Amino acid sequence: MDYSFWNIAPIILFPLGAFVINAFVGCKLYRKGDFISVGAIFASFLYALRIFKDVIVDQHSKDFYVHKVFTWFDLSVGDFPFKIDMGFYIDSMTATMLLMVTGVATLIHLFSTFYMAGDAKYGKFFVFLSLFTSAMLALVLSDNLLSIFIFWELMGFCSYSLIGFYVEKEAAGNASIKAFMTTRVGDVLFLLGILAIYNIVGSISIVDIYSALAMGSFEGQSVIGVSALTFIAVCLFGGTIGKSAQFPLQVWLPDAMMGPTPCSALIHAATMVAAGVYLSLRMYPVMVAGGITDFIALIGVITAFGAATIALIQTDIKAVLAFSTISQLGYMVMGIGVGAYNPSFMHLITHAVFKACLFLAAGSVIHSLHDHHTHGHVQEMPRMGGLRKKMPYTFLAMLCCTLAISGVPLFSGFVSKDRILGDALYFGMVHPHKWMMIVPVLGFITAGLTAFYMFRMLFLTFFGAPRDEEVYNHCHKEHFSFTQNFPLLLLSLFTLGVVYSGSLTGLGKINIPVVGKEWFSTLITMPKVEDFTQREKVKMMDSHLPEKFETSHYHVHEASEMTHEEHVLHKAHSIGAITSIIIAFLGIFFAYLMYISKGLNPAKWESAFSCWNKALKERYYFDHFYEKILIGKGLHGFNNALAWFDLNVYDRYVIDGWEIIAKKIYLGLSWFDMKIVDAIVDLSGTIIRFFNVTLRTMQTGRIQFYFVVLFLALSGYMLLTRI
Amino acid sequence: MVSLSSFLFLSFVLFLTGLMLVLGRKSIIFVLIGLELILNAAALNFVAYSRFVTEKLDGHLFALFIIVIAAAEAAVALALAIRFYQLKETTHLDELSELKH
Repeated sequence: MDYSFWNIAPIILFPLGAFVINAFVGCKLYRKGDFISVGAIFASFLYALRIFKDVIVDQHSKDFYVHKVFTWFDLSVGDFPFKIDMGFYIDSMTATMLLMVTGVATLIHLFSTFYMAGDAKYGKFFVFLSLFTSAMLALVLSDNLLSIFIFWELMGFCSYSLIGFYVEKEAAGNASIKAFMTTRVGDVLFLLGILAIYNIVGSISIVDIYSALAMGSFEGQSVIGVSALTFIAVCLFGGTIGKSAQFPLQVWLPDAMMGPTPCSALIHAATMVAAGVYLSLRMYPVMVAGGITDFIALIGVITAFGAATIALIQTDIKAVLAFSTISQLGYMVMGIGVGAYNPSFMHLITHAVFKACLFLAAGSVIHSLHDHHTHGHVQEMPRMGGLRKKMPYTFLAMLCCTLAISGVPLFSGFVSKDRILGDALYFGMVHPHKWMMIVPVLGFITAGLTAFYMFRMLFLTFFGAPRDEEVYNHCHKEHFSFTQNFPLLLLSLFTLGVVYSGSLTGLGKINIPVVGKEWFSTLITMPKVEDFTQREKVKMMDSHLPEKFETSHYHVHEASEMTHEEHVLHKAHSIGAITSIIIAFLGIFFAYLMYISKGLNPAKWESAFSCWNKALKERYYFDHFYEKILIGKGLHGFNNALAWFDLNVYDRYVIDGWEIIAKKIYLGLSWFDMKIVDAIVDLSGTIIRFFNVTLRTMQTGRIQFYFVVLFLALSGYMLLTRI
Repeated sequence: MVSLSSFLFLSFVLFLTGLMLVLGRKSIIFVLIGLELILNAAALNFVAYSRFVTEKLDGHLFALFIIVIAAAEAAVALALAIRFYQLKETTHLDELSELKH
């Protein structure tokens, strides 16, 4: 396959085209144009599948890349270069991301045709869904930080529109503003990081940043007193904190659940929040060189643990999933911090699949439960229960995903999360500071909490006796329908570990089913910056590749003599695997005791930890802190001080002071006006009158006379210019 | 071999004929014919120069533009002439002296 422009760009252009068509004429089309959006994303999926097959199966080399660029603008003046290139960058990671995003998005589009059916703004939903998907795909294909930032912001906008989709609800409007403003904090940092990089490297292409790292361009540079690398790493990670809802900017994601459930599945679980992690993975060498990996690991584990504890007591089914998303994103970020590059990316993929499925299943549940008093849907778990018999397909999908997220062996979550925890344990064991053991310890506790709250959700929703008879009786028995159940079941098929590991016991080695090549851990490895200094870029419209890539000979090195470090790593992985299995089953067992066999009374436990329980209900007072203290006390006070300054200092002295000066100037000017300007005006009047009389006689009204004048004037002009 | 100067001479004759018509005749129809001749003289110049001097097709392109513009102009001008005739029942240009006022 040649990587010509028209083999890559359609991945972005199909959904973008669907967006344009649906935005302008969608409402006039059959079914409000939903088939255009669904068809476009499916076409993108086919293109992504082609690229995936070529990159992963045919090329199968960890050095394979396609880097195509064009010059966006070039405003260089002399010694001051100002040139921005844009382009596509495709390697194994891009190909995997493309396949995941298009695949999950296709199924979510399909589910949306069921979930949103009958909605007054049905067409508008697909407009934003298409725009969002094309932005995400463009972000994944981007070769430079600037276009990543542009599409990042575009996704932020789509997210804003979809959270506030039911804009008639005040809470939805507020939530969308909150999400937009909170992520803005991270985005500003991200932009600062990009500017700092451009200032030092002179380019924002990812490859150029790598080679600048390899050549040591950052050595000795500093920004506002700190080392440039640390500054850049912190700024870029700030972007991740905002977008991936990490501590302390996690407050927007739970509120983002005001949007329709399919958009929660696509945006706030599977893809957009993954973009933050994706950025950190791409910029991993910068993070390491900046020396902030310990900081990243701590942020990640705090997020994972904090969000998991809040999820324990949520009663809204979507809120549980929202906090679990934050918690799992925390795992990924922790994975980046502890150096688990490959497991972290793998968790991104597996999480995207099972979290999308969980959200869709939750959407399916919510959609079939009606409240006949408010004419709305029911999201509260205390009003559910016993739905297993009524919704067998949804239950099956939810069960698979819950097993996957809990880290039960044979399911995908185990394959990825277990490897992160193993690496975290190794990180804690070899770290010079003993207290960094807190990272793996909290990570393992979070794994138990995850299993507990996910099974709590499953038990409360599907098991036991129905707690609200009226809601239960109005729920229709589920019959298999293509748009409702097919996406769920297909996604839940991909939560099976064997899809990823290729073997029942395999830990994270991903085989391609038919070809049988092991690819995940050989093809997706930490970028070695030294390899990037000689890379060649291809013009956007050229189709040839820089060189022919041989089929690689990368094999996992033979288990000859293990060094001491490898021995410790191996030990850490074995301990990690066993511990996480035990902890997961403990979590499930506790959930069983509390919500099925009633051996433990949840209310009693709540009162035992009443103080903590209150903190959890308030989500650790973060919203309170931001709203009441940071904005209420801090920013309002600042605002009021500025207003006072404006009114009492600026207005009184600067503006009113002008009045006296202006009066003086006015008097001087009016004299000048009377005596001099007026005289000039009168003079011009006289001149015009003179010409008026002369020219009037020339106005004969005869066209041919005008022709003669025109001809003479032209000839005269020609003659004059010639001489 | 026809040389450049003969083309230029032909174009000059065309231009002069057109100018004579425009300036000398009193009927609006002849004035319009004269204008067309002037445009064609210009087009001929373009083609001749592009054939003998630049040896590219840019002059031909201009000639095509001129033909299109001449057609558009003729359509408008003939419409004006017809309207003029309807109003004044003559095509004599001296009757058309409203511009004076």
